[in-house]
Amino acid sequence: MQGNAQQQAYDRGITIFSPDGRLYQVEYAREAVKRGTASVGIRTADGVVLAADTRVRSPLLERDSVEKLHKVDDHIGIASAGHVADARQLIDFARRNAQVNQLRYEEPIGVESLTKDITDQIQQYTQTGGARPFGVALIVGGIENGEPRLFETDPSGTPYEWKALAVGGGREDLIDFFEEEYEEGLDLDAGIDLALRGIAEINDGDLDAEGVTLGTVDVETERFRRHDDDEIETYLSEIDLGGDDE
Amino acid sequence: MNDFNHGMDPTSGPESLDDALQNPYEPELGSLPASNRDEESVNKTGTTTVGIATENGVVIGTDRRASLGGRFVSNKNVQKVEQIHPTGALTLVGSVGGAQSFIRSLRAEVNLYEARRGEDISIPALATLAGNFARGGPFFAINPILGGVDEDGSHVFSIDPAGGVMEDDYTVTGSGLTVAYGTLESLYEDDLTIEEARTVAAEAVNAAAERDTGSGNGIHITEVTDEGVEIEAYEFDDLL
Repeated sequence: MQGNAQQQAYDRGITIFSPDGRLYQVEYAREAVKRGTASVGIRTADGVVLAADTRVRSPLLERDSVEKLHKVDDHIGIASAGHVADARQLIDFARRNAQVNQLRYEEPIGVESLTKDITDQIQQYTQTGGARPFGVALIVGGIENGEPRLFETDPSGTPYEWKALAVGGGREDLIDFFEEEYEEGLDLDAGIDLALRGIAEINDGDLDAEGVTLGTVDVETERFRRHDDDEIETYLSEIDLGGDDE
Repeated sequence: MNDFNHGMDPTSGPESLDDALQNPYEPELGSLPASNRDEESVNKTGTTTVGIATENGVVIGTDRRASLGGRFVSNKNVQKVEQIHPTGALTLVGSVGGAQSFIRSLRAEVNLYEARRGEDISIPALATLAGNFARGGPFFAINPILGGVDEDGSHVFSIDPAGGVMEDDYTVTGSGLTVAYGTLESLYEDDLTIEEARTVAAEAVNAAAERDTGSGNGIHITEVTDEGVEIEAYEFDDLL
């Protein structure tokens, strides 16, 4: 009982390390991310792909009101997993930061710089009394100096760069899948296929256009673009998804 | 137990979370100085500074005279150009104090940018930043030229006291600018080499030194290439 009470104490204070050096609230925030449906990111030779599992719980819910894929600036998009409300705060922070960079230097912000601005903001919420960490993980994808870049932010405020990754529920399975299937030098279409196949993989091999949100930033236009249902349908039929398969 | 509940009152906000957004019109380190000084006693450069962009780099010519109110020569050996970037230099035109603090701020920003991002700030971005500081802060009473080289090649910008930023192939600022422009208009050509541009810059500053009381006492020639910045002092006779 005594031990339990002590542990609870480390549990509560966000700014307090446990004796074995853990920040329980940050770990709980990671659990919150896992409770969200997955988002994935794939870096290809000619662009980045962001996709989110956006199956809705009720046919009454308007799909467009589920926000998991966000345009941040012309050349950068972010996919999120976890608490949508927390994600919105970080997305708005990212959008304003992107414009501040434009005001300050008259240059589009770099994907890496933006990611680190976001993670520095997240980190503050792991070290400040009275705050709660962000219960969200983000995939930041875009073009920087003509090169596709893909980053992850987690609730501790650590930035990571990936070739392909997933956040949210099913992350481990998805990353295993991408480790098997990812190839260097993929083109954008192959990257889209891989992202969709990944999301199908954790949905028992089944996926339709209404259950996924897809966005890309390609090196040619350097513009974030959301793909509509018809386009997604085409991609799905190319890889024999969207109906019964396997 | 209570020890662990610091700051955990759900009705009180976080202790010190601020929105980490940067003010684009101010330096990130330090602050812009206050305005309102006794303008009579302030050292002014008077000045003629010339910037010329060539294929292989930028040439900047600056005279070496500082004056009080344009009527008294307060220094005969002033270097009115400073390196502010691995491949960029800024001229001091107008209030010496304003220009010097402006340069210190920009250097700090350039270093911070490189340390954070692992690459040097581009010259147009640096020009925008300089324009923002001139615009957003007190009236610096400066009118510098920024010359530099980046992956897009050579750039010459003039920055006016209100924050106006204009790029050109060649530009002049300072009290001797009309005289120097006259010379440049007859000597400047599109395909000058660096060597030729040095002579053209020297001719232009020399012409201004002959007629403008705020300019004179020799010249510094600065070469900015992708290798770096080189500044050297000369008498006009050495070059012309």
